[in-house]
Amino acid sequence: MPKLLVLAALLGLAAPAHALSVRDMLGREVTLAAPPARIVSLVPSVTEILFALGAEDRLVGVTDFCDYPPAARRKPRVGGMLTPSLEVIAALRPDLVVATTEGNREETFAQLRRLGVPVYLVAAHHLADVWDAIARLGALTGREAAAGPLLAGLRARVRAVEQAVAPRPRPRVLYVLWPEPLIVPGRESLVTELIARAGGRSITAAEGSDYPRFGLEAAVARAPEVILLANHSASAGPIDRERWRGLTSVPAIRAGRLHAVDGDLLHRYGPRVVDGLERLARAIHPEAFR
Amino acid sequence: MSPRARLAAALGVLTLVLLAVAALALFLGGAAISPRAVLAALAGRAGAQSVESVVTLSIRLPRIAVAALAGGALAVAGVAFQALTRNPLAEPSVLGVSGGAAFGVVIAQSLGLGFGVLGAAGLTAFAFAGAVVAAGAVYLIAGAGRLSVQTLLLAGVIVGLFFASAITVVISLLDVNRLGGVIYWLLGNLGTLPPASLGLFALSAAAGLGLVLVHARELNLLALGEEAAQQLGVDADRLKIRIFAGAALLTASVVAFAGPIGFVGLIVPHALRMLLGADNRLLVPAAFVGGASFLLAADTLARSIVAPGELSVGVITSFCGAPVFVWLLRTRYRALL
Repeated sequence: MPKLLVLAALLGLAAPAHALSVRDMLGREVTLAAPPARIVSLVPSVTEILFALGAEDRLVGVTDFCDYPPAARRKPRVGGMLTPSLEVIAALRPDLVVATTEGNREETFAQLRRLGVPVYLVAAHHLADVWDAIARLGALTGREAAAGPLLAGLRARVRAVEQAVAPRPRPRVLYVLWPEPLIVPGRESLVTELIARAGGRSITAAEGSDYPRFGLEAAVARAPEVILLANHSASAGPIDRERWRGLTSVPAIRAGRLHAVDGDLLHRYGPRVVDGLERLARAIHPEAFR
Repeated sequence: MSPRARLAAALGVLTLVLLAVAALALFLGGAAISPRAVLAALAGRAGAQSVESVVTLSIRLPRIAVAALAGGALAVAGVAFQALTRNPLAEPSVLGVSGGAAFGVVIAQSLGLGFGVLGAAGLTAFAFAGAVVAAGAVYLIAGAGRLSVQTLLLAGVIVGLFFASAITVVISLLDVNRLGGVIYWLLGNLGTLPPASLGLFALSAAAGLGLVLVHARELNLLALGEEAAQQLGVDADRLKIRIFAGAALLTASVVAFAGPIGFVGLIVPHALRMLLGADNRLLVPAAFVGGASFLLAADTLARSIVAPGELSVGVITSFCGAPVFVWLLRTRYRALL
């Protein structure tokens, strides 16, 4: 009897292969004619995940910002995240476009859907969402076998970081996503969770929305013990540390704990986010990793 | 040549130009499709699911329609504001009317409007309200009665700056993730629209055009001065309110569907006035067709120079428009200032 059930389940899965319906990470229904074989990624994080899963042969187009891994640069480009060319996407004959509500435009999704191109939306505010995104993209591309070990390895590394910092006191951390105007990670941002797992306490963890603007005075008043300045790829220029050195009332400045971190590792939600977490932990608790 | 024949000749030539530009727009683009394949798609000889059909019929053609409508509407709005204020430099963006409409749209967007045909209608209504408030403010600041060229332009600049700051207030409260999209929209961009929205856009543009067109003869008389127009049987106040509403509607519909695109209403009417003279019965329809060609050409440039990326068409029109404005100020209208 159980065998029959399994058989029925298998048939049930196999039968609608010509029209499978899945829900994306925003809960919207996406109907696919077949498992996607020609994917256009409008999200650098998604491009990184697809490469990490070994699904890059299904990736037929990426954005100008998809710069990792280096092989991603050799994929056909469809333009920027805000300004992809609709007709270049159409010419790639994608059977799925993966996009995000955080960085792409709703108009782009609507235009693609009118062309009959299914759009799968992703978003990640927590580490659990990152695992979810990897698992979902693995399932979509038939790479579950690769997703399992990848996720297990990433989770083990996260646990190692948490164990290393667990006995340490948790310093107050100011994470500077953008210095002018000051933009910080708020309640719903992945960076806030990463700081907590790296053994810090983000002084802006309770702020509303994902990435709110924040007053410099308020930041100084909360007396951060560590200040982390995110840099954004090479094109954005060097980090201006001098602005911060004058704030001598701040414990972090007095202790010389002003560090640069790689924003591409911490703001994207590909597998490299764990590299970002490890570096974050080393910046907040250097003594724990000697 | 009789006026009717002149109108027919001018519209004929301008339509040929529009068709030529549209053909260019149909053949150029980021997707490398041969002219032969484009023609095959147009003739229906390519498969419905083929790349050339999708790109030609579902991407390029609808975008050409949006560009032509927006360009025509903006050029007619320019002619209307110029006739209404008897100021050759008046234009929706210079007068701050586009800014008012843009503020309306930003408010509507932050209220969550914008999707589906109802959302589009809501955006248009908010844009229209913003445009009316801005144009009314300019009118009041400049002193309702006689508007000197400088005062009106200054009032326009002030109102434009005010609404730009108001927009900044709204967008600085937005989340960073949504910021990019709003700023992108503020630069003025054309794209494909869903059929219902395109219909709504065409309808409101047609209403605005109609309102200006049926009063073209009276606008010619208004050029003689309000008193002279009154003596010739024109109800000047009623005329002004209708033209005001028509021009605001034209501006608002473009801002709602494509964002604020500047200077089309300046460049096109001036070029056409040099060619055709100042008769509004000729100028208004000619501006519609000429404006369509101009914005379509600008948009084709915008989506070709940095392909596969795209520039904002508003950037292109401003690059063309600002020098034209300065040139007009320094040459033709020096005496007025």
